[in-house]
Amino acid sequence: MRKFFFVPLLALAALFQACQPEPDAKQLIDQLVVATNYDQAADFSAYATYSIPTDTIGLISNSTNDTIIVQSKSTFPRPVLNEIKSNLNALGYTQVARNQNPDLGINVLVVNDFNVFQQVVYPNNWGYPGNYYSGYYGYNSWYYYPYINTYAYNTGVLIVEIVDLKNRTPDNKVKVVWDAYMGDVYSTIDLIPQSVDAIRQAFVQSPYLGKTPL
Amino acid sequence: MRKLILFAVLLAAQSALAQEKYFYVALDVNKPLSNTSWVNDGTARGVRLGYRAFINRKFSAGLDLSSSAYDQYKPTETMQSGSGAVTTDYFNYIYSYTAVVSGQYYFGNDEKERFFPYAGLGLGANNNRYVMYYNIYEDSESAWGFLARPEAGVLYKFGRRSLGVMASVHYDYSTNQSKKFGYDGFSAIGFNIGLIFLEW
Repeated sequence: MRKFFFVPLLALAALFQACQPEPDAKQLIDQLVVATNYDQAADFSAYATYSIPTDTIGLISNSTNDTIIVQSKSTFPRPVLNEIKSNLNALGYTQVARNQNPDLGINVLVVNDFNVFQQVVYPNNWGYPGNYYSGYYGYNSWYYYPYINTYAYNTGVLIVEIVDLKNRTPDNKVKVVWDAYMGDVYSTIDLIPQSVDAIRQAFVQSPYLGKTPL
Repeated sequence: MRKLILFAVLLAAQSALAQEKYFYVALDVNKPLSNTSWVNDGTARGVRLGYRAFINRKFSAGLDLSSSAYDQYKPTETMQSGSGAVTTDYFNYIYSYTAVVSGQYYFGNDEKERFFPYAGLGLGANNNRYVMYYNIYEDSESAWGFLARPEAGVLYKFGRRSLGVMASVHYDYSTNQSKKFGYDGFSAIGFNIGLIFLEW
């Protein structure tokens, strides 16, 4: 009778531990999260021109010494920059060269956080498969080989900033008047279309932008 | 919480070896009734198990443990804040665990009968973990509450065998709160159907 009770109980206790379903990962990452913020004191209708890099995106990463992503090495920068330009143009701003004294500067960068960490696991005798060396490390003893689990995560955010170059302070400081954070760009199903969609959404949810804001 | 549940299960099994009693395991189907704008969908991803010992032919007392996972997908929406906005689709999840001490009254409990309708009340604790998943990110809050569970059900015994089935409906009310996700108490209505392992 004792076995009759214990077997299903132990099985169900294990079932309790497994009752933590999570969402479908593909559905989670099929679009980027888009967060925008702006300086409520800024008058976005007062700006007329902007400058933006043509083929490079900045990169801040803890896994590489590169500081830019260039079109010659990646297909990522051009469609991203083109989408930003097309939205700014649609808002009535005019693109000019950097040396033509633009009112706004556009920063586009990816911040990448890559982490690897390891954990030494000392299995107990509650049923880890394998690594069982009964008797080898001493008579009548159970020994479970410790092993190392390696975990890694690699995350990144695409950031677009609009910098007010028109109203520089006397000591030549500038202010970010709008930014958009879009993530995660390292866990996407299709990076470029998702990034382009995210940029479009960033402008859609910022109706105060433009020479004649909505 | 998981260790507590495991401990309680083992304790119940140990003490189950002395008198007329039954152990049950059941599928637990639930629908939340509070803050349904956050999660409204019912769930069949629940399991409940328990042990009940008879004090006399009319009354039993025991321990019930259950686990349920509620979830709801929220299509893409834009949430405005003071100086910005966030757009995403997301999933809301509630991982709910309960442990109650319960008592039951049986309406007719003749040894020759096979049907044993009953009404009962459970009192205990509830832990909920509220999680919002969006892209690779998540936001969560965990909380404990006092739980009251009135219940009505029926047991059916298969002849002289030590096996039977059970079905019951129950209402759960818990003082479990989550300020972050707008819960000022958590309640749900549920239905169980399962197997009972009898010893009487």
